[in-house]
This record gives sequence, C-alpha cells and structure tokens, in this order.
Amino acid sequence: MNERFVSVLRAVIFVLLGLALCGIMFQLAGYSAPLMFQAIADGAFLRAGALQQALRWSLPLFITATGVALSFRAGYFNIGAQGQFYVGAVSAAFMAEWLNGAPAAIVIPACIASGMLGGAAWALWPGLLRLKSGADEVITTLMGNFLAGLVLLYVTSGPLKDPSGSGQQASSRPLDAAYRISDSMGLSPTIVAIVAVVGVAIWLLINRTTFGVLSGLAGRNPTMVEWQGARTWRIGLASFLISGALAGLAGTVELMGPNGRLTGGFLPGHGFTAILIALVANFSVVGTAFVALFFGGLASAALYLPIMAGLPSAAIDVINAAIALFITAKSSLIDRIAKLKGRTWKTS
Amino acid sequence: MMEDRSPIFECRDVTVRYGDITALADVGVTFERGMIHAVVGQNGAGKTTFARVLAGLVRPAAGSLKFSGRPHAGGSVNDARKAGVELVHQSFALPPTFTVAEAMQFGAEGGSLFTRSALERRWQPHLDSLDVKVKARQRIRDLPVEIQQGVEIARALVSEAKLLILDEPTAVLSPEGTEKLFERIRRLKARGVTVILILHKIREVLAIADTVTVLRSGRLVDGPLDCTEIDADRLAELIIGPAAARGLNADDKAALTGSATVAHAHNETPSAGKNTVLDMRAVSTRPDTEGPALDNVDLTISAGEIIGVAGVEGNGQRTLVRAISALVDVVDGKLAIGGDNVTGKQLAARRAAGLRIIPFERNVEGLSLSSSLWENWSARSLLQMPLLAAINPITIQKRCAAALNRWDVRYANVTQRASSLSGGNAQKVILSREMDDDARLILAAQPTRGLDIGATSFVWDAMRDAKARGCGLLFISSDLDEIFDISDRVVVMLSGRIVAEFRPPYDISAVGAAMTGVLK
Repeated sequence: MNERFVSVLRAVIFVLLGLALCGIMFQLAGYSAPLMFQAIADGAFLRAGALQQALRWSLPLFITATGVALSFRAGYFNIGAQGQFYVGAVSAAFMAEWLNGAPAAIVIPACIASGMLGGAAWALWPGLLRLKSGADEVITTLMGNFLAGLVLLYVTSGPLKDPSGSGQQASSRPLDAAYRISDSMGLSPTIVAIVAVVGVAIWLLINRTTFGVLSGLAGRNPTMVEWQGARTWRIGLASFLISGALAGLAGTVELMGPNGRLTGGFLPGHGFTAILIALVANFSVVGTAFVALFFGGLASAALYLPIMAGLPSAAIDVINAAIALFITAKSSLIDRIAKLKGRTWKTS
Repeated sequence: MMEDRSPIFECRDVTVRYGDITALADVGVTFERGMIHAVVGQNGAGKTTFARVLAGLVRPAAGSLKFSGRPHAGGSVNDARKAGVELVHQSFALPPTFTVAEAMQFGAEGGSLFTRSALERRWQPHLDSLDVKVKARQRIRDLPVEIQQGVEIARALVSEAKLLILDEPTAVLSPEGTEKLFERIRRLKARGVTVILILHKIREVLAIADTVTVLRSGRLVDGPLDCTEIDADRLAELIIGPAAARGLNADDKAALTGSATVAHAHNETPSAGKNTVLDMRAVSTRPDTEGPALDNVDLTISAGEIIGVAGVEGNGQRTLVRAISALVDVVDGKLAIGGDNVTGKQLAARRAAGLRIIPFERNVEGLSLSSSLWENWSARSLLQMPLLAAINPITIQKRCAAALNRWDVRYANVTQRASSLSGGNAQKVILSREMDDDARLILAAQPTRGLDIGATSFVWDAMRDAKARGCGLLFISSDLDEIFDISDRVVVMLSGRIVAEFRPPYDISAVGAAMTGVLK
C-alpha cells in the first residue's frame, strides 16, 4: 500500500513539475501560460466531446504502453515500440490487401493476428541479439525504429500505394469500409473490447502467473534469478515478443480504426509517448490505464492549442519531453521519502 | 629519552546514529601514544563506525574528540589527516588497475606532472623502508592479498602518520600472513607510530596488542585494558555478553571470539552416511574474471556431512560454488548430485536434484533487494513450475509468512522490500528458501559474514539441523575458527586446487601452512 502510494505520488509530482516547467518556458517566450493550461484542460477533458477525443488517442497508447511496461519491468529496455507499431500496421495492411474481398469476420481477425505477428517479429531480432550475444537492445530497437519508418515509406509509396492519391503524401489505398473497426472518431465497441482484453490479459500475466513474479525479480536483479536457476532467456524472449506484439496490435487498431489507411509518417510520436506512459505509471497495468488517458488528453488538446492560446500544436511535444525529463531523472527526494517509510521496518 | 605516554586520542560520550540505528552510544576512551591498541567486538558492535569516527569519515551526533590534546570537530578526513590519522579499510580501496607507485602518489602531497619512472623512483625507497616486498611498477591487481595490504599500509604512511588505524586487517589473511602483518606492526610501533587495530579474534589481540578495548552493541564494555592482565576467557565473556552467552556452548563461544582453537567439530554424532550427495571427479573450469579456474578438483560429500573449505579468499572457492551450480563453464570432469549425473546439466536440473545455494553475496546473488519478501522467498518454488502457471499471490504470501515465522525472521509484512531487513534477517530469508525439506546438498558460501552473534549461531544451528536431517553441506568461510567448529572434514583450496584435507583434531598451524602452500 505504501509502495503504491509513493509511486502514485511520484507520478503526480513529476507530471505537475513538467507542466510547471512548460508554463514558465512559454510564459517567458511571450505566450500566456494561464491560457495555455486552460486550452489543455478544455481540449483534453472539459470541452464537449473532448473526453471522447482523449479516449481515441489513449486506447492505442494503452495497448502499446502495457507491452512496454511488461518488457521494462523484466529489465529489457525495448524502446522500439514505434518501429513495432509501424511493422504491425504494415503487416495488417498487407493481410487486408491479400484477403481483399473476403468476409470481414475473416479479414479482421486475420489482420489483427498478422499485425501482432509483425510487431513481434520486429522485436524478435533485437531480442535474439540481446539474449544470444548481449547486443544492447536500446541501440538495436532504436535503429529498428528508423528502419521501420523507411519500410513504411517504401510500402506506402510502392507496393500498397494508393493509385488515386494526390501524390502530396504517400499513402495506401483506403480500407474497405466493411473492414474498418471504427470510424475516424476512433471509438467503437470492437476497439474497447480489444483494449479490455489486452488490459485484463496483461494484468493477469503480471500479477497472477509465475512469469509475472519471475520477470519482476529478473528486472530488478537478474543475478539473483540466475542463482535460482532461471532460464532468463525465456523470460527475456517472452518479454520482447509480447511487447512487440502489443505495439503491432496498436498499429493494426490505428490502421483499421480511425486512420483507415497507412500514411507515410503516421503517428510519429506514438511509441515514445507509450514509453513515457509506462514510465510514469511505474509499469503497473492499472496505472498505465490512467496515465494513458492523461496523455491521450494531451494529444487531443494539441489541436486546440493553436486556436485558443496561439501556441503551435508541437507545444504538446515539449510538455511530453518536460515530463520525460523529470520522470527519467533519478529523484532523490521521492526515493528518500520511500526510504524513510522503509526504515521503520528495520529491526534488530 | 623519556617515553612519551601522553594521550594521542581521547573521546568522550561519542554517539553516532545512522537513521534510527544507533551505531555508537556514549563511547569514551583514551589511547596512549606509542602503543598498539586493539578494539574488539562482534559484528554490529560498532568497531568499524568507531574507526570511521577516528578517521573523520563520520561526524558523531554528540560527543567530543581530541587528537594529541587538541579538540576536533570530527567528520573531516582532511582534519584527521592533518592530525596524523590514517585508516586502512577493511576492504581495500586501491584502484586495481593502478601501479603501486601510482597508488602511492594518489593522495600524497606535491607533484602534479610526473613520469611513470619518476614516480617509481620516488616511491620505491618508501616501500623498501617499510619492508613491503614489491616493485613500484607492479599493478595492484597482480599482487597477492598480503602484499596489497602491505601497499595499503605503505600508502597510509606516505604522510608521516602518527596514528594508524587498521580495520579488521586479518580478515583476508592466512594465519601465516597474520603473523607477518603483526611483525610489520611491531616495527611501526618501534618507529613511534601508534596503531589501533580493529580485531575480531581474541587470539590475535593477545598476540599483538598492548591494550584492548571491548565494544558491544555500540557501547563501550570496558577498556583500554592492559593485555598482560586479562585472559582469553574473561575477554570472551566481555565480547559476547551475558545475554547472548546463554544458549551457546563452550566451543561455539570459543569459535565466535577466536579465544581458543576448536579442534573437534561440535557435533552430536559424526554421522556421515554412505549416500554420496556430491561426487566431483577431476573437474576443471575455464578461467574468467571472477577468480582462478578449478584445476582437476575431486570432492565428495556424503549425506549428513559438513565439509569445510578453508583458504585465503580468492583461491577458487567462488569458482567451486559456481562450478557445482553450473554458473561457470566446466571444461572437464564429472559431477553428480545425489547420485544423478548432472554433468553438463543446467542449474534448474541440479536444483531439482536437491542442490541449494546460500550464495556469497547475500544482497546481489541471494536476494533482489528492491523486490518484496514474498517474491524473493517464492522464487525457488516458482521456478519448479511452468512459466505460465497460474498463481495466487495471497496463498504464496501466507505460505511465505508461515515459513518466515518458522525461521524467526523479524519483519512487518511480506510485501515489504528485502532491503528493509537487517543482514541477519535477510540471511534468514535465504535460509528459509534454501534449507527446505527437499534439499540434499547445500552450498553455504560465507553464510555468517557480517552477521552478529545471534544470527551467526542461528546459521550454525541451521547447518547442524540440515546435517542431522541427512543433507550434505559444503561450508566456505574465511574464518578458520568457525570452520573447525562446524566441519566434519576440512579441505584447503589454493590457486583453484584442493591441496590438502584434514580431519579432526584440527591443527591450525598445519591448515594455515596448507593455505599458503608451504605444506606439500
């Protein structure tokens, strides 16, 4: 209970610090900070329909972020969510193209499976490199992101190119309406159901299986788990594959839901926002749900910033970065509070 | 010339707290100049804290300090240095990649630009004058422990130290190395250096010191007492204290304080059965960074037998444990646990055959400190299940609580972090995990290191209980007294080989000679 309280407190403090820092920066840059915060609050949650818009962004983010949380928790810093998200979307798009004309009841599950497999495959090679030869997964997955971005560009301007497109932006042919799992508003029972299944499954995996306990131990102290005789590569590989599959699933949801097609640079910040969400939520599935909603709100507010506060919508990226800055900096203050609480247990 | 017997160091009512823990309480002593003063006590008695106060590494929360009659605030290494106080740490602090000359220069006054050969010319005479037999150009990591300690002492003496403090200097030495160290200390005394020795063993105190000061649970029990006027038994009583002495037999008491050598293992029955739980034949390993490789090691352990492994640290004890645990590449040889041939099998299979490990590094290899107690406790049993087996944390937490209570672990809640436990309690968590009913072979690597009296005798009793249940135990320790007290047989390791085997009655000088390779 104590631990949980401390980690919630930590998250809230860091987010507030990040927001405050941005407020000061934009105020100094000549914008109005109060107006900015009001625009964010309105655009994220208060305006009519804002919550719906926030959910549209937060649901795919939640899917990716739970995967990131699972792999970070096991001690594998798979920061390739963006690449796995792209490859998942591309795999699903190919599947949809290949099965074009078949009934939706076949195409949709097939696309989802293919998207998850694609994402998992894009996490498999950095995973194997890490587990077989010790190659740093931070480097390999990061490079994987660039490769996947180029694959997406190639696919949208090559094999899957929309012949009727204007040519201004590379994009694929729109999906047949029957194959869409939501309209462009991005909310539908199918997507909510997918998110619920993911949330429950990953929660069970982390909290109610041997894998959950052992991967948590391995993430905090791999040496100890090795001396217990664990085959750590199995835990590692599973973590890579599951996180990749979930990012791929989020890519599939974006493709078949709100987007309806692949475009050249689609959702460029998705993977990194998901990493940030997992970090702020301290790798807890329940926490990830709340934090994803908050960042989904920020994403939806991005559209209102230029209108209400005269700020470029990229200001949201600055806010994300500021929060990331605080969350990744080791905070001695919070740790000291946590330690004080631990000390009362020390006996003899 | 009149001998100067004025106090070199005095303190009054010194109290040191780390958080809620009081490490020293109202300690007041006076040390005279030009003598060898011993400070003794068990782990947790406050000896090291006391040394750190003297060296200016810790500022006392209350109390006053005086060096040579001049008051000091404490808490400043520079001030202590200026007063001529130098500390040689328990675990050496020399950078392993430095040459001896560089290590000397590091911390010495003067000279910001220099060449390697100039450094060597500067420091070689200093080393020679202290009779440290080493070339100034050698690298620290290539030196044996005893020479490293000599270098460490030489480094402490670069700036005409008047008061030299050695924190448990004998812990890493063989009996013979200890004798050499004592020679060196007597020569320092002859040069007029006052020496404070933090020690653990009464035998050593009486062999070297002029006075002895006893600490227990952070308090001054008595001292400085004249060493010519006190005997080993009286000193042992002072160190252990009346409360802890209850429930300890005479041999355990002697082993705890090193007041006498226990020649016979204190066992109800020397009950080695016929069943072999470990059979190692000609095992050799690949050398790596963690210690010397095993070279053709044969070792058998029977059920109901405790084998002690003696040896200066770093002579392959670690590799031996890792080889039995499949944590190092075994290039040659055969290994069977409980009759099952496990050569080439992974640790999971060996654990299934009944192998249990109490690792060297309690806080790294034994526990995940930032994880909860129940997760740490359940790791071994969870690893016997499929990776995706469903578990109920509540049930596991209940079983964990029951086990921890049975092992007398003091804790508040099984969900608290392992880092919140004291060393003794942390070790008990490991014991409760590793000494279960299915254990057949238990590797106990330094299981009592850093533990106080109560926890140490708890660990010994747990090992004797396991033996009585029919487990075979491999007991590695750098403390010969406890090895002799517990073990049915003692093997000695030197440079990755088992060079000698002893049976009771043990002869400490013969074992000591084997540790340094004097005996064939």
